[in-house]
Amino acid sequence: MFKQITNLNGDERYLIFSLLMFLAFFIIVGIMLFRMKKDYAEQMSQMPLEEDNEINKMDTENL
Amino acid sequence: MQIEKFSYDNKIVRNFGIATLVWGITGMTVGLLAAIQLFWPFMNFETQYTTFGRIRPIHTNGVIFAFVGNAIFMSVYYSMQRLLKARMYSDFLSKVHFWGWQSIIVASIITLAMGFTSSHEYAEMEWPIDIAVVVVWVIFGINMFGTIIKRRERHMYVAIWFYIATFVTVAVLYIVNSVQLPVSGWKSYYIYAGVQDALVQWWYGHNAVAFFLTTPFLGMMYYFLPKMANRPIYSYKLSILHFWSLIFIYIWAGPHHLLYTALPEWVQNLGVVFSIMLIAPSWGGMINGLLTLRGAWDKVRSEPMLKFMVVALTCYGMATFEGPMLALKQVNAIAHFTDWIVAHVHVGALGWNGFMVFGILYWLIPRIYNTTLYSKKLSSIHFWLGTLGILFYAIPLYWAAVVQGLMWKEFTPEGTLKYGNFLTTVLQILPMYMMRAVGGALYLSGVIIMAFNLVKTMKQGKLIANEYAEAMSLEPTIVKERGIHRRLERKPVLFMVLALIAILIGGMVEMMPTFMISSNVPTIASVKPYTPLEIQGRDIYIREGCMGCHTQMIRPFRSETARYGEYSKAGEYVYDYTYLWGSKRTGPDLHRIGQKYPNKWHYDHMLDPTITSPGSIMPAYPWLLTQDLDYASTPGKIRALTILGVPYTTDYADKSIEEARRQADLIVKDLEANQVKTDSDKEIIALIAYLQRLGTDIKVNADTK
Ligand code: HEC
Repeated sequence: MFKQITNLNGDERYLIFSLLMFLAFFIIVGIMLFRMKKDYAEQMSQMPLEEDNEINKMDTENL
Repeated sequence: MQIEKFSYDNKIVRNFGIATLVWGITGMTVGLLAAIQLFWPFMNFETQYTTFGRIRPIHTNGVIFAFVGNAIFMSVYYSMQRLLKARMYSDFLSKVHFWGWQSIIVASIITLAMGFTSSHEYAEMEWPIDIAVVVVWVIFGINMFGTIIKRRERHMYVAIWFYIATFVTVAVLYIVNSVQLPVSGWKSYYIYAGVQDALVQWWYGHNAVAFFLTTPFLGMMYYFLPKMANRPIYSYKLSILHFWSLIFIYIWAGPHHLLYTALPEWVQNLGVVFSIMLIAPSWGGMINGLLTLRGAWDKVRSEPMLKFMVVALTCYGMATFEGPMLALKQVNAIAHFTDWIVAHVHVGALGWNGFMVFGILYWLIPRIYNTTLYSKKLSSIHFWLGTLGILFYAIPLYWAAVVQGLMWKEFTPEGTLKYGNFLTTVLQILPMYMMRAVGGALYLSGVIIMAFNLVKTMKQGKLIANEYAEAMSLEPTIVKERGIHRRLERKPVLFMVLALIAILIGGMVEMMPTFMISSNVPTIASVKPYTPLEIQGRDIYIREGCMGCHTQMIRPFRSETARYGEYSKAGEYVYDYTYLWGSKRTGPDLHRIGQKYPNKWHYDHMLDPTITSPGSIMPAYPWLLTQDLDYASTPGKIRALTILGVPYTTDYADKSIEEARRQADLIVKDLEANQVKTDSDKEIIALIAYLQRLGTDIKVNADTK
């Protein structure tokens, strides 16, 4: 399998370049996540559950 | 800060929901019809409007853009309003979006049935519809960003990022893939040819899967699954990681549709590597979804809608594992062009997309009608019919693919092909095709039951057209927030730009060299442009959708060169505006069909394939023998192709009709000598001219050497 990647008669530069680019990108996202506060993540994940209350069941016509 | 009162627009959500049901049933019915035609060709009723080549794109576009498309809009309009605590930006735009999209669907069905097609898979509609699609899509985008801008919630939840990424990427893909030069009201040529055209098409095709069938659905999962299970998603951080990796990596994987073809090898390998990497972010999403249900499995047991979600996620996991496997060259060598691919996409479409849509509909419709589901029992029956349907669909096709794939490659001890007659391998798998149709019918009957159930639900409740809501108004932020992503989550435009950059990188690295470096497509001196009559024949081939069953790409394997002849070279396609490599071999490859049979053979075969090939499942094309060829359109076509770069001499367009007629007369004379009475005005003559030319330029080359 790895021969597919390395035997490219000089064209492997495209591949290596692409992989490096992804690596850099991945590291940036990783750092961002590492620095994210836990309570913030918690708070964000509650979002879809927030708006459920009785009031929502009403049509504005009925108010 | 003050409390603001406002309302959510549920009517638009409901309308998209009804459209989802209507087009879902329509698109799947057409699919079932196509499936039946593959073992009973007479089920095309021998009219051109319902022949396989024309209804296949109606089915694929119907289920992707009409069924799934409307379901996406329904879910986005519902969840976005609530996540942003704001009504949609403009009711008027919502309406234009809705009716615009439905008109596009109707126009597409009509024009595709009439044979107006550009032949790019999943983007077959001709240029006027392309323009309409872009306009309506932009209207959707304005409405979406308008809502984001007037939101009452500072931070954008993960579902919204998926919607944003969907919006920008689909826009980029669709526009780049649709750059065409119109020749007349309903005919155009893509500006790309051959290898480049193939690369653009599969960059688009693959990422239509990524950004129309995957990212919006992940967004929907991140909103509706927590709602249904009443617990937050398992890991918010995982969602960020898998979001960025997914959109970055996906865009590179397109070339895995073109392995062993004439595409430059390094592009193929890039596609393979990124396809394998794709497992990680895909499974990240699946695991995040499944783990959200941890501790809620008792609920799954009693709630059919959660069952739908679990199967949807499982199918997503299976399809995204299978995809990278199919991208491995060794596997691809066997599976490509077989029914394996058809099974693969249906696990994704029926399981992941279909089941998630059903789950959401069962949850959402009762909510906006302020009632409960009419019958839980019926939804449970739907679940089992659907699951059985998927199994009955996929398993026979996997089986068919393995059987046929191996038969294609089997040699006798003497070194000749064991099944030299392609048709033998087709007849072998017809029972599997029948089972597949049964699977499709089961699945469709489940959807019809759901439609009944939901209509009853709507009848027993009353639509809350404008749902009352209140929220704090949003003050401008003064303090600078810590955390980069946190800041990003309140900057929608910056967010969109970053997503755009992430998806553009992959496309550029792959395409620029293929387009700019001429050594990537070596030219062949003996390859000449098509004659005017051949161009007309080629356009008939496109109109009839022959590429839905036939490839024009011989891969460099002994089993293929023994069957079809010399393998295909990139340089042979330089005048192919649009490329016609195809993606599925229901019939044999046609790249070297030229001069293989006499003209009369083709004449008989097109009139009724069973004359020459007893038992053939290829449709008959009797109308080609009676319809007149539109000679008058020839100069316009030649002129357009000259503009695109085909080296015809300057006054060639003016004498192209004459030229076409001369060639047609020769074919008519030859047919006459073989007891076929026809005249040079008929379409069949042009098609024969084209078929007899295919792949011969290289044969000439070999002869003269
Ligand atoms: C439903 C799938 C299907 C469609 C659509 C279809 N074909 Fe076929 N075709 C087949 C099958 C199966 C065979 C093999 C049996 C036979 O010879 O009929 C075949 C065979 C052929 C052959 C003979 C190939 C050989 O090497 O013997 C030609 C030529 C051909 N088709 C041309 C066309 C053209 C032109 C169109 C469009 C107008 C078309 N086909 C549309 C399925 C299809």
